[in-house]
Amino acid sequence: MSESATRRERRAAGVGTTSRHRMPDPAAPGRTPLLVGAGLVAMAALVAVAVLSPLPALPARAQDALTLALSVLVESMPFVVLGVGLSIVVQVWVPPGAIERWMPRSGWGRRAVLSLLGMLVPVCECGNVPFARGLMIRGFTVSESLTFLIAAPIVNPIVIITTHQAFGFDDGILVARLLGGFAVANLIGWLYSRHPDPDALVTDRFRASCETAEVETAGRGRRSLAQAVVELRAVIPALIVGSVLAGVIQVVVPRETLLAIGSDPALSIVAMIALAMVVSICSNVDSFFALSFASTFTPGSIVAFLLVGPLVDVKMLALLRTTFRTGVLAGLVVIVVLFAVAVGGAVNLLA
Amino acid sequence: MSSADGSVARGFARRLLGVGLAAGLAAATIALALTDRLSLYIHPSSHVFAVTMAVVLLVGAAASFALPLGAEGDHEHGHDHDHGHDAQPGRRGAPRAVRSAGAVVVAAGGVAATAVTAAIVLVPPATLSVELALSRDTGSAPLFQGADAVSLAATGDTASFGVGDWASVFATATDPEAFAGDEVTLVGFVTPAAAPGGGGDFALTRLVITHCVIDAQAARVPVAAASADRRSLDTGQWVEVEGVIRDADGRLQIEARSVKPIDEPTDPYEY
Repeated sequence: MSESATRRERRAAGVGTTSRHRMPDPAAPGRTPLLVGAGLVAMAALVAVAVLSPLPALPARAQDALTLALSVLVESMPFVVLGVGLSIVVQVWVPPGAIERWMPRSGWGRRAVLSLLGMLVPVCECGNVPFARGLMIRGFTVSESLTFLIAAPIVNPIVIITTHQAFGFDDGILVARLLGGFAVANLIGWLYSRHPDPDALVTDRFRASCETAEVETAGRGRRSLAQAVVELRAVIPALIVGSVLAGVIQVVVPRETLLAIGSDPALSIVAMIALAMVVSICSNVDSFFALSFASTFTPGSIVAFLLVGPLVDVKMLALLRTTFRTGVLAGLVVIVVLFAVAVGGAVNLLA
Repeated sequence: MSSADGSVARGFARRLLGVGLAAGLAAATIALALTDRLSLYIHPSSHVFAVTMAVVLLVGAAASFALPLGAEGDHEHGHDHDHGHDAQPGRRGAPRAVRSAGAVVVAAGGVAATAVTAAIVLVPPATLSVELALSRDTGSAPLFQGADAVSLAATGDTASFGVGDWASVFATATDPEAFAGDEVTLVGFVTPAAAPGGGGDFALTRLVITHCVIDAQAARVPVAAASADRRSLDTGQWVEVEGVIRDADGRLQIEARSVKPIDEPTDPYEY
């Protein structure tokens, strides 16, 4: 009861955006605790089933793929929850204009600032997608959100620390990774800002959710829940499918096939890019993984691995597909891969 | 499409694919933590974060029961045709066949994601198979912890060393003599010795993990054992090896005093 009272107060105080529709509220206030109680019982039952895990194990290969997929999911789920939380904060709780006031006017300036936003919002790449969707719903342009999405997995404090731990300043790998990530994000942002029809870059489904978001005027608690439901629906199936693909590919393609290509300056770059797209390791730790190849692979190929992996691996592509059209993803892959080849080649020549 | 039944079904599908699957994953995470098996998947240092966020998610999922189906706004087709985007047919120019093919792919993805989540909840946790460990053995030691291990080893503090640490030391030590004579007790599983002449009668192998299981890498040290000990060892058998490090022609290996077959330990990976 008190909850609906505060909701009314907020509405009366004019919090929230334009009020065109009013959400119907079929659930009587008195039923809310009952429903939440039922929800808690259902969740407890789910945990109990997971503890019991009544089925037998799968055949070895399928089980390996499932184990690999689950490890990615267990690792990335907390970041997705964090990202959905931040997306709710940005969309529902930060007052209109609070962020926009601090942004530069020019497109270049705005994109440069957004590509450094990852320094403040250290969510790794899985959490960035819901956060970026929150930015777009809030009114940031598609190209600005893309800039953030591409920069944040690389230009962020955790990644800088782990990359430094792994490589120090050897061969300019850390510097090339950071500057490369910043540059490719702004390049992509600039290219897509020149697109004549930015709305055509995102999926119909996502554009529809932007429009509904504007007209919702329910209480903030309820809007937060609704936003969580929508974001989870968009991100979770894609994350699961992407993780399973990463797991299955790892079980099916022997690692030697990729590694046999060895230390050839050009081929090694191609091989490491392929490896990065397949293994889908979180950008927070991919440098440790890459380090174990550093003895046999050229430094340029390591940089290429560290640039491509966080941006366009199979898991990330599945996540991005929730929001962007296939054509945009194809463009992203081409630009990022070509850019990584260029940076990797330059590092190989200089190192 | 716009009948009440259809919209309830769509609302339910959306809840299942979003909140439902997320809750399944969170429940699996918590179940792993409760049975102390979270280390089979991720590094101990991220356990607290993973479990906290899983609890947050389950509480949020329970709260979402109070949100009526469809109250989050119906974003599927066939609703609210007065929105601006539907008034611009040119933009949705994809042919009908392509769009329905897209819908099939989306539906298949949803079914696959649901099936995988069901398997995750219903199938007991497992460790990676030995075959996978072998296919990941690329011959080079996992060097990511090399720097620490080698400097520690130089100070003689090797009591806490596992297979991964020793593998890096064996691969990078510049003066093998410094380590010869060290007593070791190591747990791992048996894999065939490296190429003939590579040293040892078999290799003691362990998967080493930096962050989560998908980055698992095989670390191996060569072991020389008495023939009586060797006879009962199949590839994949977990063993506890007690022995001394010896320098065999400039190449370090472990000379086993005893090789004891054991069950797979509860912490099969090294972190």
